[in-house]
Amino acid sequence: MFRKLCVSMVFVVLLAPAVLAQTVDEIVAKNIEARGGLDKIKSVQTMRATGKMEFGPMEAPGLYVQKRPDMARLDFTIQGLTATQAYDGKSGWAIMPFTGKKDPEAMTADDTKEMQEEADIDGPLVDYKAKGNQVELVGKEKVEGTDAYKLKVTLKNGDVKYIYIDSDSGLEIKEESKRMVRDTEQETETSLSDYREVNGLMYAFASQTGLKGSPQVQKLTIEKIELNVPVDDATFKMPAVAPKPAAAPAAKPDASKPEEKKEPPKN
Amino acid sequence: MLNRLSTLIAICVVIALCLSALPLLAQTVPIDSDTFSGFQARSIGPAVMGGRIADIAAIHEGQRLTVYIGAASGGVWKSLDGGTTFKSVFDKQPTQSIGSIAIDPSNPQIVWVGTGESWVRNSVSVGTGLYRTRDGGDNWDLMGLADSEHISRVLIHPKDGNVVYACALGHLWNSNEERGVFKTTDGGKTWKKILYVDDKTGCAEMAMDPQQPDTLYAAMWQVRREPWTFTSGGPGSGLFKSTDGGATWHPIRKGFPDGDLGRIGVAVAASKPSRLYAVVEARNHTALFRSDDSGDSWTEVNNSFNVSGRPFYFARLAVDPNNPDRVYKPGFGLTVSDDAGKSFSAVFSTSDDSGGVHGDHHAVWINPKNSEEIFDGDDGGVYKSLDRGNHWRYLQSLPVAQFYHVSYDMERPYNVYGGLQDNGTWMGPSRAVGGIANRDWHNIGFGDGFWAFSDPTDPDTAYVEYQGGHISRLRKSTHEQKEIKPLPRANEPEFRFNWNSPIHVSPNHPGTIYIGAQFLFRSRDKGESWDRISPDLTTNDPDKQHQEKSGGLTIDNSDAERYETIYTISESPKNGDVIWAGTDDGNVQITRDGGKSWANVVKNIPSLPPHTWVSTIEAGHFDAGTAYATFDGHATGDMKTYVYKTTDYGQTWTALSTPDLKGYAHVVREDLINPNLLFVGTEFGLFLTVDGGKDWAQFTGKLPNVAVRDMAIQPRESDLLIATHGRGIYVLDDLTSLRAITPEILAQDVALLPARPAELALPAFEQRFDGDAEFVGRSLPETAPIVYYQKKRNIFGTLKIEIYDAQGNLVNTLQGDPRRGVSRVGWAERLKPPKVPPAASLVEQPFAFFGPQVEPGTYTIKLIKGKQTYAGKIDLVPDPRSNATTADLDLQHKAVMQLYDMLAQLTYVVDATVDLRDQVRQRAAQATSDRKLKAQLDKLAAQLEDFRSTLVSVKEGGMITGEHKLRENLGELYGGVNGYEGRPTQSQIERTAVLKKQLDDATAKFQDMSAKDVPAANTALAKSKLEALKVLSKDDWSKKQQ
Repeated sequence: MFRKLCVSMVFVVLLAPAVLAQTVDEIVAKNIEARGGLDKIKSVQTMRATGKMEFGPMEAPGLYVQKRPDMARLDFTIQGLTATQAYDGKSGWAIMPFTGKKDPEAMTADDTKEMQEEADIDGPLVDYKAKGNQVELVGKEKVEGTDAYKLKVTLKNGDVKYIYIDSDSGLEIKEESKRMVRDTEQETETSLSDYREVNGLMYAFASQTGLKGSPQVQKLTIEKIELNVPVDDATFKMPAVAPKPAAAPAAKPDASKPEEKKEPPKN
Repeated sequence: MLNRLSTLIAICVVIALCLSALPLLAQTVPIDSDTFSGFQARSIGPAVMGGRIADIAAIHEGQRLTVYIGAASGGVWKSLDGGTTFKSVFDKQPTQSIGSIAIDPSNPQIVWVGTGESWVRNSVSVGTGLYRTRDGGDNWDLMGLADSEHISRVLIHPKDGNVVYACALGHLWNSNEERGVFKTTDGGKTWKKILYVDDKTGCAEMAMDPQQPDTLYAAMWQVRREPWTFTSGGPGSGLFKSTDGGATWHPIRKGFPDGDLGRIGVAVAASKPSRLYAVVEARNHTALFRSDDSGDSWTEVNNSFNVSGRPFYFARLAVDPNNPDRVYKPGFGLTVSDDAGKSFSAVFSTSDDSGGVHGDHHAVWINPKNSEEIFDGDDGGVYKSLDRGNHWRYLQSLPVAQFYHVSYDMERPYNVYGGLQDNGTWMGPSRAVGGIANRDWHNIGFGDGFWAFSDPTDPDTAYVEYQGGHISRLRKSTHEQKEIKPLPRANEPEFRFNWNSPIHVSPNHPGTIYIGAQFLFRSRDKGESWDRISPDLTTNDPDKQHQEKSGGLTIDNSDAERYETIYTISESPKNGDVIWAGTDDGNVQITRDGGKSWANVVKNIPSLPPHTWVSTIEAGHFDAGTAYATFDGHATGDMKTYVYKTTDYGQTWTALSTPDLKGYAHVVREDLINPNLLFVGTEFGLFLTVDGGKDWAQFTGKLPNVAVRDMAIQPRESDLLIATHGRGIYVLDDLTSLRAITPEILAQDVALLPARPAELALPAFEQRFDGDAEFVGRSLPETAPIVYYQKKRNIFGTLKIEIYDAQGNLVNTLQGDPRRGVSRVGWAERLKPPKVPPAASLVEQPFAFFGPQVEPGTYTIKLIKGKQTYAGKIDLVPDPRSNATTADLDLQHKAVMQLYDMLAQLTYVVDATVDLRDQVRQRAAQATSDRKLKAQLDKLAAQLEDFRSTLVSVKEGGMITGEHKLRENLGELYGGVNGYEGRPTQSQIERTAVLKKQLDDATAKFQDMSAKDVPAANTALAKSKLEALKVLSKDDWSKKQQ
């Protein structure tokens, strides 16, 4: 009898945390806590990450800047030419200098979506209801052998993300996104690791992103994250296009010096 | 009391802690799928031919057409673009055998899949129940009928998606009760069996009146397969009708032939639901019947060849949704009637230039919005027509080939060979530039293909076969085939060859091959003559030798049920006189004297039901007494996994199977180097063990839960070749790391694992723009793999790999893969990309983007995980196909490194020039009051900008300005030399000298400006109390590049 009681109590003791963690809000809370807590998350006004992107044998140094509530900008450099993608909270724009044209161009609303989603500086789980996101718990699944909660996040714009929360640490270890671009599904998956603490907040310093199922992945390795450095809103605004062609070449942003903008990509 | 309870809890907690600590003490880490999922098998297709298709469903979502393809044993494929591209959506479910797909018309995100194909030929797989997705295939739930094994049809109420009918055929090989028609009214939470005949009869087809969905028709079919025969038809078969949503049923057969019926296919004309068609199998008479009174009475309208042929395999009808008089009959061919079944004609093009359409049709979908558009699924894949079937486009994007066997040759790159269900025999390369495309594959045999081997002594010769032991010797270069099948001599009985007759190539004696009938034959001269080296090795039971009577109501004598035959042959690699033969009726025979005497040792095998089909025998590679065997009892309803090993020539056997193995076993293979590494292929996947069979795990690295029929290990490359029956060939590259995994390694937190020497890829590419509609298989990545094992996922802190050359220089740093279990991180075998100065646009030469390839040799690797460092080595070797000499490579390396360094120097000069120019401009902006100083500075800035524009292109114009400056000339020359691993041309070498002179001149000019103009400007600036200009030094520039 004692043995039986003992086994059942052990059972209860062992199962208790798992049972408790079964609701969406509790998993979201666990994730927020694991990241450093809501107060610290909310205290971040700007985030600047310096690192490099790798695609096979190619490599591009990059700089990613975010500003509360929803501005973001990425600069990366190939063969000395710096490309920019940015979102100012309303619309997206890009400079793609690789083919001999350095004017900023507006991005379509669909092409902006990825940037727009990432620009949510707190992530889609924080205040998800207020943001109009729906979150449901699909279940527990293995991510490459690690137990994780699978959350289905339906964003306000209708796009779907599956976020996998490591059941031990509470941190996100994988994300699958399904965006509708020109009414066509675009599925990507991202693996996250190398979490390190920055001012009491946990950030993933390593990630691998690719089209779902594709062996071709883009690896992002972050070297440095700085929080709350001053960043001007103008960093995220699309620059006015310089008048053509009579104007002096010097009036045009020089590829070697994107630093002339408010936020410097260092490379 | 409280005290006592708390004590009790304390004790319990202590016990719990002890229990949880136990595994740590024991130091054993069990393997599972994710221990190995970091090793990813490459799907190399092909999709130039397909595999059998069981069902097709489609629905319009807006203007676009969503299509689901149910492959007979290759899962569910979804297209969102009307069939241009497909993705597999069912890979993680336990079976890939598909019976029926139904899309909820009220919500296209809801799709039901009944698993277990209903075209129940000899090689048919089994299902595991009824599945549903609510999100278009991202996630699936098992909704019941797990024991039904075959589901022929799923129907959904057009207005209420909670009402679903499942037409379950049930077990094919034995009796069971989960068969008949089932209904749910709560979306699958609960099911009610609403039509049942007996445990031998199931539901083969169902149809619904689209206007009155409570009116249903169900075709019940009594069918049974046995290893040696099959029987279609019996008193259980019949057509039934319900008008109350299945609450009550009544048989309808007014107008059908008297006597037992067999398989019936039934369809309702959507545009006129009182019109029905049924293809009805009766004894020696199968015909099309038509009803114009909702099934109450029937009239025979046609029994042409294609309508009546092979009713167990072809029992579908497709009525044009917009024309009740037009009905398609999938069969050997696809025929159509435009006059309500009176007459039929073939729909295919008869023009000379038609590529042809594969036969044996099973599924037809007609677009209800445009009857001209038709999808057709047959034994060869999926075809699409936009002119009502007159012309067809083959969809070459579905890698659903149903291989039976696989082998390899020793070419570079080596080729894989294999035969398929109804799609002949094919060979294709293991690697190809840009991926292994459909065009890389070659057909080398026809019919149903099985075993195929390249002759080890002559790469131009291969052995291929088609069903029933029809072996040929092929000359690859000319495609000539010489039939070399052994034929009965005087006083010899007829030879019984299995549908899938075993061919075996001697590992000891070049030129020696075997083939098995009931006797074992051996040829020493490549099939020119044969010696019968055994008596009848089967049980030779005369009651099981009536292939000619097989079929039931309709004779179906295709060789597919030929029984009492040898099915597997294996000559010991250690001793050519030791030969094993296994038979379909369960004999395990061994000779130890080259065939003079034989012993049946199956009686020594424990816990094996008698007469269980021997699916493989694999002679061990390390001693002549060892062998492995798998047995497959599914053809008598026994789905267990049987794997055994002997080390004493079959005197005693040990069972290796554990509950971790799933599905009936087709094949076992022993590794060529590590005897503890074994692979077993079953109907539900690939399993492996690293401890000789104590602990097994399923291998799921990019491999779906698909039937694995055969495997081979290419010995030179140590690649595992996996023949799937439904998803083509997979290659698991380089078993070296797996060979090194031991229980001790698994117990470590982190361990580096060895890999084979990595070949330095010969730079190559092809320019192709093939669109999206073709499957392309993955080639071997052009990287050196760094392999390691982690007991747990790396979530916190750094995980990176540093690579050092022989001199200890850090060559590259790679991001680690965080996953639990084994990881393979690819290093591109190149230095970092060259420094290139900014300019108007990219240097277009493709190899200008990449760093120089590193030199062959041994490199040290350091895996750094947090504060721990694990050191190891990798070897890089030249591609053996390279025809460059060492001197050539030395010259190339020297030349490319010179250009690489020159690009860096140019980048420094340009960066320093721009830096200085901008300082000057900034000072000029400050010197507003001093016009002379401003003029001096403006002049200097212009001088620097002019200088820059002599070094790099500055004209913006969308890539086609044609402007070539030093940067562009140098970049292109670098790319050209970098893109060929061999001697650079004399022209390239001379050109390097020319550009070197230009670069030296530019450097000198910049130094000159720095030495003269800068101090002059600084003197003037000092007078105006402005900050001095500072020239960026090479050292400071280099530091910024780190």
